[in-house]
Amino acid sequence: MSTGSDTLAKAGAQGSQSQAAPGAPPSHSRFWEKGLPVLGVAAGILLVLGPFLATLIRSLLYWQPDGSVVVTLQNFTALLGDARFLDAARNTLLCGAGATIVSCVLGVTLAWIVSRTDVPGRSWFEVGNLIPFFLSPYVGAEAWRYLAAPGSGIIHKMAQDYLGLKLPFLNIYGLAGVIWVLAIFYTPYVYLFVISPLRRMDSALEDAARVHGASFGYTVRHITLPLLMPALLSAAMIVFVTSAGLFDVPFALAATHGIRTIPTEIYSSLQYPADFGRAAAFGMLVLCLTVTLTLWQRHYLASRRFETVSGKGYRPRVMKLSLGGRIVALTVEVLYIGLGVVLPIIALLMVSLQSIWTGKFRSGYATIENFTYVLLNYDLTRTAIVNSLFLAVVGASIGVGLSVLQSYYLNRSTSKARGFMEAVLSLPIGIPGIILGLGFLILSVRTPLYSTIWVILIAYVAHFFPLAIRTVTAMFVAINPELEQSARASGASWWQTMRHVLLPLLKPALIAAWLMLFVIFVRELGSTILLYAQGTETISVALVALGDRNFGFVAALAVIQLVLLLSAFALFRLTRASLVQD
Amino acid sequence: MKSDLSHFVTVRGLKKTFGSNTVLNSISLSVEEGHTLALLGPSGCGKTTMLRCLAGLETADEGYIEIAGKVVFDSAKKINLMPEARQLGIVFQSYAVWPHMTVAENVGFPLKVRRMSRADQEKRVRVMLDVVGLGAWYDRPATQLSGGQQQRVALARALVHEPRLVLFDEALSNLDAQLREQMRMELSMLQDRLGFTAIYVTHDQSEAFGLADRIIILNKGHIDTEGAPREVFDRPQTPFVAQFLGLNVQEGEVLETAQAAPHGAPQDAAGWARVALPGGTAIWGKLGHDRPLKAGGKALICIRKEHVKVSAREAMAGRQAFPAVVRAASFQGLSEEYIIDLAGIELRAIQPSAGVRSGDAVAVDLAPEQCIVLARDA
Repeated sequence: MSTGSDTLAKAGAQGSQSQAAPGAPPSHSRFWEKGLPVLGVAAGILLVLGPFLATLIRSLLYWQPDGSVVVTLQNFTALLGDARFLDAARNTLLCGAGATIVSCVLGVTLAWIVSRTDVPGRSWFEVGNLIPFFLSPYVGAEAWRYLAAPGSGIIHKMAQDYLGLKLPFLNIYGLAGVIWVLAIFYTPYVYLFVISPLRRMDSALEDAARVHGASFGYTVRHITLPLLMPALLSAAMIVFVTSAGLFDVPFALAATHGIRTIPTEIYSSLQYPADFGRAAAFGMLVLCLTVTLTLWQRHYLASRRFETVSGKGYRPRVMKLSLGGRIVALTVEVLYIGLGVVLPIIALLMVSLQSIWTGKFRSGYATIENFTYVLLNYDLTRTAIVNSLFLAVVGASIGVGLSVLQSYYLNRSTSKARGFMEAVLSLPIGIPGIILGLGFLILSVRTPLYSTIWVILIAYVAHFFPLAIRTVTAMFVAINPELEQSARASGASWWQTMRHVLLPLLKPALIAAWLMLFVIFVRELGSTILLYAQGTETISVALVALGDRNFGFVAALAVIQLVLLLSAFALFRLTRASLVQD
Repeated sequence: MKSDLSHFVTVRGLKKTFGSNTVLNSISLSVEEGHTLALLGPSGCGKTTMLRCLAGLETADEGYIEIAGKVVFDSAKKINLMPEARQLGIVFQSYAVWPHMTVAENVGFPLKVRRMSRADQEKRVRVMLDVVGLGAWYDRPATQLSGGQQQRVALARALVHEPRLVLFDEALSNLDAQLREQMRMELSMLQDRLGFTAIYVTHDQSEAFGLADRIIILNKGHIDTEGAPREVFDRPQTPFVAQFLGLNVQEGEVLETAQAAPHGAPQDAAGWARVALPGGTAIWGKLGHDRPLKAGGKALICIRKEHVKVSAREAMAGRQAFPAVVRAASFQGLSEEYIIDLAGIELRAIQPSAGVRSGDAVAVDLAPEQCIVLARDA
């Protein structure tokens, strides 16, 4: 932590220079005012750079058969020459692209239905469309295995029993299944990104096109969609990078059937006999790609900020749907929420309440044994639940605290390095969890942190603090600095201003960010799967570890996780915290 | 032959309600070809809804709209043309210049959707941009323009396809005062040159008076007053218009009426009445409408601020003058605004500085021909 204390010392020195004669003690107030935010930024940069450098260095090291270490590109050449790598890369691109396209189409459609039409039950759908955002992709994949595994899926059995239909084409294993489950979970991202421009767009922009001769369809294609493009493209970018890097879904639906993807290949490189060089080279390639894409997206957005909000009293008009239109809109909504939320939850409940799972619910096997066992009697799952709650609560609190300091620096400091820092601090969002986990694994080997819960905590915070920064910064922008300046002018110290003015104003964003991190940490799998050890398992790890050994336990544990996630969602609604992305 | 055929725009019995709120209550109006109509009124009077119904952006519940001999809306025959089929131009308050297009793409849009050839499009767009003084901005992104320039782009876009009718929705309200003045002049000249028919919706009286041949003042979905700008301005016929135009409006009781002008006022009114205000002051004024007033009835007396003449008390030699006290004076550059206490009645006056201050005893001179008397129920 030498860098951190150096920065502190520098900040302190600056504070004393600006105010008092040399030799005078640094002003306490200036010291914290300048030093704390810088400390937060320094911590963030360490959390980004640490695993990045570790992965980079490890990828260049090669252990020769005689035990000596050389610096070489051999790990990369070996990887690039490997047909399995190319296969995995192709599959990962397919999954990412497929999930992006499907979730963009779905997300825009759902956002449009909710914001621009008079479909009945709009306010319900508005909330319902967000629920998948709060659920676990791994559990979703698990639930879809119960629903649509070839031959044994609930849907197959139902179709057979009630309709006499065989559905041989319905098979959740494979790339199509991965894309489907990913799309369900990433649709709300797109939805969140485009709903606010759709809502706030000046209706005159579209009305002018209509009056000047454009049909409804032409207006949508030439005015509405182009105006949504910046929001849609940044959503597509984030969905592509994060869905392609997600470990959970391909692990559940593709790896078991011999279909390789990059996240699952990295994971298997680290199974016995572990090849860290290969995994690190994998990681470096993906890092370069995601960092490039993330930076390009920032650049693209910076050059293309359309002002679509103008004038007073202009609101997008709500379209009156015809009967046919209503039926179509309702069907889309019901299908999305039905297939994304209701069916998977029903499947999990069915399986968790059966002593033996036979592919359909039999009242003879009904039991709550699974829950009592998982909650009270089984050490693995009990530890996992406690660990997950600890990580989520402590991790979210640290992450939000850090993000407040960082947002303060990014919004209130006059430093020239601000833009650069902002770019660096936004990087981890795009980095796949498994690669960040790999970085921290390499960093922590041979340190006391290795295989403790603390390294998992650090990895969680490092991966997701940028999300908290975004939420907090969005709020920060709306707070006029004069509000703080008047507090200072009234005689309040920096601390008092923070406590009585800034933090209360930021509170809605802090709650939103905390709940978001809580949800993400409760379900995290990608980095945990590399960092856990006996005794530090989380719920998601326990779900993987239990695997197919006992359907009932897995489903019961998944339902418990679901309850945690849905309670966070309920709190979101109760506190009216806003998720909307800009 | 129906008499409607002589009108370019005809609206009959237009009704629109939002829930329990009646926004347009059976509005009928007409505009001659090449003329300009201003729909004037406070916010919420239904003027924007009226315009949106004309454009087809809103569907009226009932009524009939005909533009240039073509029925675009008829609730009885279930005719409701889409906005794009009505062949109009529109300029919005927010300009609605598309930020993802260049200036030329914005202006050329109506031609592009009409599938005009590229060469013709370019020719027309260039001509139009020259007309609005943006010739040099052809290829620039629309986002680089200032407010006034965006306004011109919006105007060029509304005119480029030579529409039969151009609608202006608070088109000048977003501009600053100086620019607004300039654009108003330019619009007037442009309309003389291109001869389009126009309907302006505005809450700004000077915009309406400056641009329109005819003015309709809307109040809560009704037509309150209709007439030529001068007529409406000089002789407000209803208390609503008097208040909307910013006149002093005071309620009192009619003491007597007369045919002959009092105090030697010019003989140009239907009749005269003396109205007693609550403080006891009795003022002669001319009738604002043709209906006679009865002595003993309630009436309103309306006086334009500029017509309340304040002078030092010694010079009290007017035809109809009263002693009063200045309550407040506010310097406004060329003029000064006063709040005057006339025997317990508050009047506002605007005039070149009279050199009086708050608390001064003054004389208030009210010429009878400038005091308009309206029946209370009007």
